[in-house]
Amino acid sequence: MIAVEIKNVSYVYSPDTPFRKVALDDISLKINAGKITGLMGHTGSGKSTLVQLFNGLVRPTEGQVLVGGEDIWEDPKKISRFRFKVGLVFQYPEYQLFEETVRRDIAFGPANMGLSDEEIKRRVLESARFCGISEEMLEKSPFDLSGGQKRRVAIAGIMAMEPEVLVLDEPAAGLDPQGREEILGGIRDYQRKKGNTVIIVSHSMEDMARYSDEIVVMNKAKIFMHGTTAEVFDRAEELSDVGLSVPQITELCNKLRERGLDVPHGIYTVADAKAAIMRLLGGKHD
Amino acid sequence: MIKDITLGQFFPGNTVVHKLDPRMKIILTIAYIVSIFLAKNMWSFIAVVASALLLVIVSKISFKTILKSMKPLIFVLAFTTFFNLFWTTGDVLLISFWKINIYLEGVVFSVMMILRITSLLVGTTVLLTYTTSPIMLTDALERLLSPLRLIKLPVHEFSMMMTIALRFIPTLVEETDKIMSAQKARGADFESGSLMRRAKALIPILIPLFISAFRRADDLATAMECRCYRGGDGRTRMTKLKLALRDFGAIILMAAFITGIVFLNLTPCPISM
Repeated sequence: MIAVEIKNVSYVYSPDTPFRKVALDDISLKINAGKITGLMGHTGSGKSTLVQLFNGLVRPTEGQVLVGGEDIWEDPKKISRFRFKVGLVFQYPEYQLFEETVRRDIAFGPANMGLSDEEIKRRVLESARFCGISEEMLEKSPFDLSGGQKRRVAIAGIMAMEPEVLVLDEPAAGLDPQGREEILGGIRDYQRKKGNTVIIVSHSMEDMARYSDEIVVMNKAKIFMHGTTAEVFDRAEELSDVGLSVPQITELCNKLRERGLDVPHGIYTVADAKAAIMRLLGGKHD
Repeated sequence: MIKDITLGQFFPGNTVVHKLDPRMKIILTIAYIVSIFLAKNMWSFIAVVASALLLVIVSKISFKTILKSMKPLIFVLAFTTFFNLFWTTGDVLLISFWKINIYLEGVVFSVMMILRITSLLVGTTVLLTYTTSPIMLTDALERLLSPLRLIKLPVHEFSMMMTIALRFIPTLVEETDKIMSAQKARGADFESGSLMRRAKALIPILIPLFISAFRRADDLATAMECRCYRGGDGRTRMTKLKLALRDFGAIILMAAFITGIVFLNLTPCPISM
């Protein structure tokens, strides 16, 4: 099943001025439902623009955006409907918190959907759990929390809208390894439990390797690659041509292969690499 | 939308007007404003309008931009015209019905007022805001006001505040845009509902914006302190403003212009106020 489809979409910033800039150049893309899709690309490759197309914050200059098979711009007056279907977490979302308590901030999205108080309460508690927010934290002011906690509150605020597609623009940027783990792990748990579609923009190859099922690579306003995580990371040379790399462990395996060792393709996690190397050494792996 | 704010807009260029010393430009602008208010009859008004047009041509600012900048003025113009037209009394009655009397003097007065206000705006924006970068402008202001330091006015601090404020306008505009998008993604609606609802809908934008403005101010203060900023005392400059020949030329031209206006005021003219 296809969750989001982009059909021949182009987007131009400031058309008809000297500052004209093509952010997306005739791209087509199908995001599979029920998967975590990673979106990678160099700074300025068009990722953030693409992400804002999904929920209709940005209207494509040309082409169509389909969510669940529906053209979201068919009736521009009803565009807000798709804001609830596709939840978008911006970069550094902690700067959008404003309510008096964490609980009320998370409830802002669901309240805008016009849900009942009970339903809002259920959603707030559930999404808080996925994001590792304790009951006691719910009553605090969001401005008394640490940076990482604020980020989790902001993400919970979008999750509570229970969108069919959850899009996150660099959810782990600027956090320490433990913070990254908590946020990305929480997102994965949420996805596995709800079975909905998640799109994560990230610069970290390690995070992509760990958490995504499929990867889309963008380069210069075009889709450069699209495939399963193994397929994409198997094309190390092409990735480095566009200024990206593969996870360190994949690089290690590639180097071993260059030296004539029989390491299989498509390894991108430490566990797989360990198994393959142990097999080569003829030992049993525990 | 929000990015279209043109407050303090500056169009970089390489014309004589751009190159004038900013201190001189401030003085010239004041002189120009005075000369506009000196104008009393048709001849001097023609000179004023011609000078404003000449300024636009020399500075190579497009007429389209100038016209756009006039838009907010329409209300003021309509307002003054309304009062001048209906409340000025004189000798020559043009139209009279019910309680309304329109005199020739009123018409003359309104037309001259329109010309005065538009030339004033065109002249000052072209001389100052459109052709001088905000940094240059505050720098010049600091220099011109520096004698006030003698009476213990914090001139440097004042101009530093102004520089910082101007510097952060685009940043905050961008930030507002971002926060608006983020809240829209959470289903916030800024465009529909009653006035009260719309005002309430601004809270999710204003609170994060204020917080981020304070955070930026804090960061900036720390960064300035780290670079040993300690106010204006003993502070030297990288670029020193220096008067060039063209600056003296400009001042002579302005003096000639004012003398010309005074002279034209004295020449007999059929229409005057």
